[in-house]
Amino acid sequence: MSNDVVVELEGVRKCFGPRVIFDDVSLSVHRSEVVAVIGPSGAGKSTLIRCINRLNTFERGVIRALGHEVYGTEEGKPALKRDELRELRTEIGMVFQTFNLFPHLTVMKNVMLAPQRVKGLSEAQATARALELLEMVGLSHRKDAHPRQLSGGEQQRVAICRALAMEPKVMLFDEPTSMLDPELVGDVLATIRRLALDGMTMILVTHEMMFAKEVANTVVVMADGRIAEMGPARQVLSAPKTERARSFLERVLPHTDGGGVTDVRTHPQDQGGPIAGPIDSIGGSALWSREADEEELL
Amino acid sequence: MTVVLASIWGVWAPYLPSFLRGLVITMEITGLGLAVAIVLGAILAGFKLSRFRTLRLIATVYVDIVRSIPVLVLLFLAYYGLGQLGFTLSGIASATTALGAYYAALLCEIFRGGVQGVEKGQKEAADALGLGRVSGFARVILPQAVLRVLPPSTNQLSNIIKDSSLVVTIGVADLMARSYQASASTFRPMDMFVLAGIIYMALYLVIARAIERWELNVQRRRG
Amino acid sequence: MSAIALYTGEMLDGAVITLELTAGATVVSLVAGAAGAVGRLYGPKALKTFVMAYVETIRGLPAILQLFILYFGLTQFGIDISAYWAAFVWLCLYGTGYAIEIFRAGLQGIPEGQHEATAALGLTRFEAMRRVIIPQAWVAMLPALTNFVVLELKNTTLLYFIGVQDIMFHARLGVSNSGQPLVVYGIAAGIYVVMNGTISRVGGLLEKRAAIAR
Ligand SMILES: Nc1ncnc2c1ncn2[C@@H]1O[C@H](COP(=O)(O)OP(=O)(O)OP(=O)(O)O)[C@@H](O)[C@H]1O
Ligand SMILES: [Mg+2]
Repeated sequence: MSNDVVVELEGVRKCFGPRVIFDDVSLSVHRSEVVAVIGPSGAGKSTLIRCINRLNTFERGVIRALGHEVYGTEEGKPALKRDELRELRTEIGMVFQTFNLFPHLTVMKNVMLAPQRVKGLSEAQATARALELLEMVGLSHRKDAHPRQLSGGEQQRVAICRALAMEPKVMLFDEPTSMLDPELVGDVLATIRRLALDGMTMILVTHEMMFAKEVANTVVVMADGRIAEMGPARQVLSAPKTERARSFLERVLPHTDGGGVTDVRTHPQDQGGPIAGPIDSIGGSALWSREADEEELL
Repeated sequence: MTVVLASIWGVWAPYLPSFLRGLVITMEITGLGLAVAIVLGAILAGFKLSRFRTLRLIATVYVDIVRSIPVLVLLFLAYYGLGQLGFTLSGIASATTALGAYYAALLCEIFRGGVQGVEKGQKEAADALGLGRVSGFARVILPQAVLRVLPPSTNQLSNIIKDSSLVVTIGVADLMARSYQASASTFRPMDMFVLAGIIYMALYLVIARAIERWELNVQRRRG
Repeated sequence: MSAIALYTGEMLDGAVITLELTAGATVVSLVAGAAGAVGRLYGPKALKTFVMAYVETIRGLPAILQLFILYFGLTQFGIDISAYWAAFVWLCLYGTGYAIEIFRAGLQGIPEGQHEATAALGLTRFEAMRRVIIPQAWVAMLPALTNFVVLELKNTTLLYFIGVQDIMFHARLGVSNSGQPLVVYGIAAGIYVVMNGTISRVGGLLEKRAAIAR
């Protein structure tokens, strides 16, 4: 495992009861790389990223993240100790589709809770950090509101702040915008875009193809219980090599002709807004090619 | 109308001080019973939610059996039955035991439901932040569960107040018992029971309003 | 020991009276409760107010106080009912108050969209109730109805106080004659557990069947 690899999955299999959700999933994520995971509903995208911070267990294979090594339950290796699991989770930030903000706490307290209770920050330190983050997402004026009083887009930006307050080294996003009204999507995507520019390592499950193409270095297409295709975002989205990826992309991108991708679901803000330049392969391309080669054999 | 009221008042007035002393005992029994029920109910709920099968089994058996025994039978078991074992309890202690034991079973189910009713995503979010089991529960799950548990618990409080009146059968001088005695000595049972009824209703309404206000307050603070 | 056996037999005789009163009062209460709930929801304003006040009174007062009002209180006006009938009437009045609440909650729990759908289809109010609303409400009410029967059965324990010869009545005789309160009340508790357990079990089975039928 090269020093540069932050998260690495090797031959991971996940079952719910007798049902195999996916099998033999291997993937490396490098520092500052942005990986977008796409694929049809039910393909196991959420399950995959939840395995990384152990919200789900998995059966086979191994996941190495930030120096922690977690084996599948059937590998016969000792399970992660509770403290190590917590440490792992504090280093990985997660943003949920349904936000999951704590409804009984104000925006500020939502962001301050874990830094204070887990990292032992003082009230003043936690306040300062929370304010800074809320400022960044443009919500400092809402700091004393309760989650219910916020729009979905605002809630999701608070949820991102809550995760960032732990200073994670990797961020996981599970369809962060799919529960939002179209006009609220832009602000959340802008926040994620900004994190990408700051060099945050991110794994992002999304249905926003334009956005994936813009911010992701690597795109992973999950389908039929495995990784159907994986490669540089532009290549996979514009010219998929495998039949399975192509048929999926044709379905979600009905206006694909030749190389041009025009996602009908993309929102005006996205097209009009400040689109960051492609962050192509911050040390990425050569390293995913190993898996990409294997994919060719499928 | 005024004549009727005046004459009723004439009947009630001499007994009011005694009734109010009875009310104090009613409140005492209710408070003690409720306290035992909350503590024991919380422990049982903890058992039910535990990872350990044995604890879950103990709680299930307790709840299933105790809640199908009438409170009056529990009261007699505490007052007469425990004496046979050498634990002679006073009337108030017996009532506390019986009400505590019975309502613990009901509150256990309410508490468990309250905790399990908190959306799954909340636990996941706490886990993902690395909050440990204790602070995840204390800071994220519990505050939300409390709000869910309040309305059904208030209901049970009103039931405890009402069931505290069963002590009339073991000679504790609570509000009910005093109205019973007064009805025998005045030969005006209806008048006496109506007065007792008014006091019971008033007690319930005052407590229910107080809890409701607190609940609204908490809810308002949370948006 | 044989004294205990003797009184256990008597308690079981008492159980017949307990069950008889519970069953009779349950039937009456459910019918009256259904009528009351319809009155509470769809009746004229005066009726609504009356039903509401009735329910609040029944639910607000201690059970034993209600029983005493009926049995002792009415004597103040020269009305003298036998213990058995006072007990039965009280169980019915009490049960009706609770049954109204159960039916009201069940009927109100059906989402407005269901009513609108039946209206859109042109069903009459009666047909809508019978084919759409009640079948759904019934399933939702089953757990509450099971609890209702258990509640009425538990209420019968108070009746010994006015001289009805139910389980508790014989248990108390048994205690004073055997001097073994723990054993005798323990047996009484066991009888109640078996009866209430059976009711809950049957209710659970009905719920399961209803859930499958949906
Ligand atoms: N806790 C669970 N128990 C059993 N099956 C589950 C569980 N969670 C998910 N599944 C199943 O696993 C499969 C993959 O689910 P997952 O949520 O990962 O899909 P997804 O790719 O994220 O889909 P979507 O795009 O709809 O979010 C689905 O078929 C789902 O029904
Ligand atoms: Mg998903």
